[in-house]
Amino acid sequence: MNLDDLTRTSGEWLRGTGPESDIVMCARIRLARNLADFPFTNRASRGEKAEIEANFKSCLGTSRLELTYLDVNGFSALDRQFLVERQLISRELAAGEGPRGVAIGSQENVSIMVNEEDHLRIQVMLSGLSLHDVWDRINKLDDQLEEHLAYAYSPQLGYLTACPTNVGTGIRVGVMLHLPALVQTKQIDKVFRALQKINLAVRGLYGEGTQAFGDFYQISNQQTLGKSEQELIRILTDVVPQVIQYERTARQVLMNERRQHLHDQVSRAYGVLKTAHTISSEETMHLLSSVRMGINLGLIDDLAIATVNELFIQTQPAYLQKIQGSELGVEERNVARASYLRSRLSNGRHVESE
Amino acid sequence: MTCQKCPEEATVHLTETVGGRRRELHLCPACAREAGVALPEAPPVLALDAVVQSLIVTHVGELVGELARSTCPDCGLKFMEFRARGRLGCPNDYRVFAKGLLPLLGHAHGATRHVGKAPRPRADAGDRLRIRTRLRDAIAREDYEEAARLRDLLRLKDADA
Repeated sequence: MNLDDLTRTSGEWLRGTGPESDIVMCARIRLARNLADFPFTNRASRGEKAEIEANFKSCLGTSRLELTYLDVNGFSALDRQFLVERQLISRELAAGEGPRGVAIGSQENVSIMVNEEDHLRIQVMLSGLSLHDVWDRINKLDDQLEEHLAYAYSPQLGYLTACPTNVGTGIRVGVMLHLPALVQTKQIDKVFRALQKINLAVRGLYGEGTQAFGDFYQISNQQTLGKSEQELIRILTDVVPQVIQYERTARQVLMNERRQHLHDQVSRAYGVLKTAHTISSEETMHLLSSVRMGINLGLIDDLAIATVNELFIQTQPAYLQKIQGSELGVEERNVARASYLRSRLSNGRHVESE
Repeated sequence: MTCQKCPEEATVHLTETVGGRRRELHLCPACAREAGVALPEAPPVLALDAVVQSLIVTHVGELVGELARSTCPDCGLKFMEFRARGRLGCPNDYRVFAKGLLPLLGHAHGATRHVGKAPRPRADAGDRLRIRTRLRDAIAREDYEEAARLRDLLRLKDADA
């Protein structure tokens, strides 16, 4: 597998399957792990980073994990951005320096970043609200890696991490939700304040510091020390259904009180996406969000949810440039984006991607 | 000079002439206020600022002073560098800077003890990090015999890993 192969597929987590997948895009868990025998990445020399990478790669070989290792250090800025857009690496790894990379599974459910803030950042994500499946998978994967790697661990403080905010379990349990009705009815801030009070963080689609676009929000735990992995997962599985319920109620209110207006908004959004000849990323996200909600409310019936999910990722700048095979300026990208959208949504019928 | 009414430092100095006789007063702020020769308590906001400032100096200042001297032998990180950048340098920092880190962990996580998954214990975890430190030290003090021994040990451990 190489990067060009990835342009022809999409991540399993975009399939729109699994529990509550009309609102929950995906559930993901990441574990921060460090090797006991090396300084943390920010203080490791180039040689030490190369050793960490070599240790990990030899572990991949012996544990026979079916993952492909990509050498991010050798990649162009465009290729690194492409991996960020697909949620396979963080912006921090993309912007880093020295030996570093990512091991990914063919379904794009699994990614293990090497030499990010921590030596290893293991991530598993699945479509829909299936946190227990995600935990089972990542726990097993972590066990397999640990057979061959000596992790930095202390009985009192747990897994030791470069930033004290991750120490202990090193776990971040996150659920990515599509909340357009809560945004439209201006209740979203109220929900966020409630979540913050119980120590949950809310972020945008691309993680820390990114603005929520397409009305996607990630809810995740912040505290990692003093509660077990299962307890932290339970907090999310207790709270997320309530947020889902708020969103459903808000959608129902929109349907009952402003049905015509809503139907108009959804149809116009769909119309623009199908016919525009130049369109910005921001407008695309905004319109796709309306279309996605429209499908879930039965206002659009000729488009698959998976296609819309994919388009959120495949209208991003790096993907468009990868499929064009050349670097494009902003204006050229807007034209390429509109053209790509027209081809995927031609004549009101979705074209299945394979 | 001490206050004429209590053992505190005198900061209010007053000279007055009453009936042709010269009188000197040296009082601390509290006694001066009581005697009615100084302004009453400063506005509360300013006073609070001053109190907080002095707390930082007396408590945090002392703690930082002690911690500021500590440097991790394995990665060379100073506690002040961690304070500035928010990232630790190696697993051993959690032990070296425990005094500064534990209150911070308690504040951020509401706990200072791990609950949950643990890897299987490994007696030699972290050995290579420590041997590299000793190797650097041996080279620094020109003990090449020890350095050679440590280098061989490290090679052996690297091969095992």
